[in-house]
Amino acid sequence: MIRNVTIPSLQQTEMLLQQRRTRLFLLLPFFGTGYILSVVFHLLTWKSGTPPSTWVRLFYYDGLMLITYGALWLLLWGETHQRGTSPTRTFWSLTVASLLFLGLGYLVLRIGRPSGDLALSAPVTGFAYETGVPLTWAAVVQMNVLALLEALLAFWLLLQLRGLVLFKRTRQSERSWRWMLITMAGSALLVDLLQPGEFVLALLLSLPVGLMLRNAFRVAWILYLTFRQKLLNLGLTVLATGALSGTLAFTSGPAHEYVWHYSPALSSFVNLSLAFGILYLVTSFLSLLFHLPTTGAFQRKVDELAALHALMQMVSQVFDVERLTETIVRLPVEAGVAQAAWLALPDFQTTFRPRIVAAYNLPEGQTPEALVDVEALYQEVATRRQFLLLEQALTDHRVRARPEHGIGSLLVVPLIARNELLGVLFVTREVAYGFEQDDIEAISVFATQAALALDNARLLSERLEKERLARELAIARDVQRRLLPQQLPRLPGLQIVASSVPAQEVGGDYYDLLQLDDHRLAFIVADVAGKGTSAAFYMAELQGIFRALSPLNPDPVVFLTQANQALFETLERKAFISAVYGVFDVAKGMVTLARAGHPPPILLRPHAPPRLLRLQGLGLGLDRGELFRRTLQPCTLSLQAGDRLLLYTDGLIESRNDRGEAFGYDRLLQTLEAHARDTAVSLHRHLLEALAQFTGHPAYDDDLTLVIFQWQEVPMLQEARDRQDMQAQTAGASASTAQPSQPSKQAP
Amino acid sequence: MSNFSVGFRQHDGVQILDLHGELDAHTAPELEAALQQCLQNGHYNILINGRDLDYISSAGLGVFMAYIEEIREKGGDLKIAELKPGVYNVFDLLGFPLLFDILPSETEALERFARGERPALPSS
Repeated sequence: MIRNVTIPSLQQTEMLLQQRRTRLFLLLPFFGTGYILSVVFHLLTWKSGTPPSTWVRLFYYDGLMLITYGALWLLLWGETHQRGTSPTRTFWSLTVASLLFLGLGYLVLRIGRPSGDLALSAPVTGFAYETGVPLTWAAVVQMNVLALLEALLAFWLLLQLRGLVLFKRTRQSERSWRWMLITMAGSALLVDLLQPGEFVLALLLSLPVGLMLRNAFRVAWILYLTFRQKLLNLGLTVLATGALSGTLAFTSGPAHEYVWHYSPALSSFVNLSLAFGILYLVTSFLSLLFHLPTTGAFQRKVDELAALHALMQMVSQVFDVERLTETIVRLPVEAGVAQAAWLALPDFQTTFRPRIVAAYNLPEGQTPEALVDVEALYQEVATRRQFLLLEQALTDHRVRARPEHGIGSLLVVPLIARNELLGVLFVTREVAYGFEQDDIEAISVFATQAALALDNARLLSERLEKERLARELAIARDVQRRLLPQQLPRLPGLQIVASSVPAQEVGGDYYDLLQLDDHRLAFIVADVAGKGTSAAFYMAELQGIFRALSPLNPDPVVFLTQANQALFETLERKAFISAVYGVFDVAKGMVTLARAGHPPPILLRPHAPPRLLRLQGLGLGLDRGELFRRTLQPCTLSLQAGDRLLLYTDGLIESRNDRGEAFGYDRLLQTLEAHARDTAVSLHRHLLEALAQFTGHPAYDDDLTLVIFQWQEVPMLQEARDRQDMQAQTAGASASTAQPSQPSKQAP
Repeated sequence: MSNFSVGFRQHDGVQILDLHGELDAHTAPELEAALQQCLQNGHYNILINGRDLDYISSAGLGVFMAYIEEIREKGGDLKIAELKPGVYNVFDLLGFPLLFDILPSETEALERFARGERPALPSS
């Protein structure tokens, strides 16, 4: 409970004190007032010549000292706690501070003395022997100034060393540091209170001394110094130890009585602090000395860590697989854990066998394949999914290198990400038994990171590829959409309804209408086998053919034969196109059409059952020409008012429901019969509705194109035709064209 | 996922492929792979048995077109037998019976292979 209350408040105080302004504003008045009051206290004692009573000393004076120097500690702490730790700077500043203190202390001791009497060894006689009351004004000044200087030095020393002791801090090290300060201060205060004998004093001091020893061995910062820095600090610790020893000699010798009479607690605290400083410097010196030989090994470790760190950064930066593989083989060599390195990745495109994608620092004129049997080693690591270490590489049968190539030991590490083997990294050392346990661990960690980076790069490139395809598909979709007629032509007597829905993003259905002159309209409905981008391009080709060829010769046989010839050369072998092509002549009220492998058109007459026009005809692109032409069976129909001609693609009849049944011709014809008298628009709507009802879902499996023509003879045309007939009759020609005739050719 | 499969049989030097399921744009590569394998093994007399073929799309038809030329150049032929009526209609619609031997029974097809007969009208 108490911890819960006090710790936050301590933190709050700390946070408050971290702002310089509040710190100075809060603490300076305490310190200044306390210090002036202490000077006044001693001046009064000097004037009165009698010592203050024990109670006054204990509760007034010692309390005052605690507040004053507590404030001083906090002030100094505030100034130093945010600085970074540098042993060199710490030791140097300690030396300078100690020497400065010694100089100032020496000058202070001279106050009020005759110039000839400089020997500090002469006993100090500024205080009454029994009572400790200052005898001269000079003694009052000296004790006050020396006490302040000593306190400053001791606090400075502790705060400086704090950074080193708490380097790589843990909760435990923080706690032990705090307890050392508390026990030091506590035992110093008790010295003041108890005026103890030697045994009690020793007992009292054992606790802070124990903690001081413990903290003195916190020298982890040494590990991170370079060899030169260690040498420099070795010298600096000697220098600082000398300066601090001199200071300790001064504070417990010539200056001792002044500060002791000022405050025994402060004097003890200062001496404890100095003792800790010397202890810490000595342990630092010895540790530095013993760590000199291990510097190289440690430096290597640091380099390895740095290299690993570089790769981890690479993970987020390099997405180019090629650059990444180069980095992966370069880093172990640069980190000093390997002499040469190469990387084998499986060749997913063709052979699935390992392929060397990058190598670094190989022996002159050598390739990895010449040095080792890459495939055999790869396979072994791939099966083990563990690293393989050949301590004496040259004795292994899979190593082809000769002694002069400098391959003493070989380490083969798998690169595994998401449980998938992405590749294998080979690293070599010139000597046999060259890889220590920590090298293997470092390279294994490195391999894991490398695998992760490779995996990321690969995923990214896959995503880019997908995006690129999606963009291409969008373009194809756009092209396809624009290939379909944006506006239907208008011819007298002919009503047209048309729709085309691609099943996927890009379909293979195509329909088009082209007005050849004021009374003729060419039409085509086609389906390119397959879907996707290539289908869209064949559609575009077909549109070109339709728009270019049909005005030249709109006869269905001629057109389809020519289109087949043009397409046969360009279509892939497995691609073909089914199509229905025809021409309406509204002046004659006739339509001529032919079918090339396409679902048969349907003729729907007002008072007759719907009729499938099953005309012979091969799909476009299936045959080079002769057979195609021979099988083509054109058909001419004389139109009657109300006739409807339905053209569609197989999406209509092959759309399937959830049970896998196709819509089929039967259902199509039934629907047509049920709506036999509908107009083209309503027929179109009913057909699509019937289909959606049958499949149970609005999306189609296949592209679906449906074009319906409706013939409504207009009076004007009738008149024109009658006039034509009359002219023909007067000319003595036959009048057969006016008769509504049966289709000239018709499949059963 | 795929409801299409190809079974392999041999009879009198004719490689018979039994097609099961639905042959569409997604499953067409499986038939392609099967035909490729036949060609690699030097089997140029190939009989497609469609007894269990439930559906074929235009992409499926494309596979036959893709290989017929090569097969005939090598002196062999690809014949199709025992198609279901619905499937036959799709073949018929495009005019495939003019290009391929499409026969009602496997026995007839094998006989035609034995006699070395091909469709009367050459495809090209």
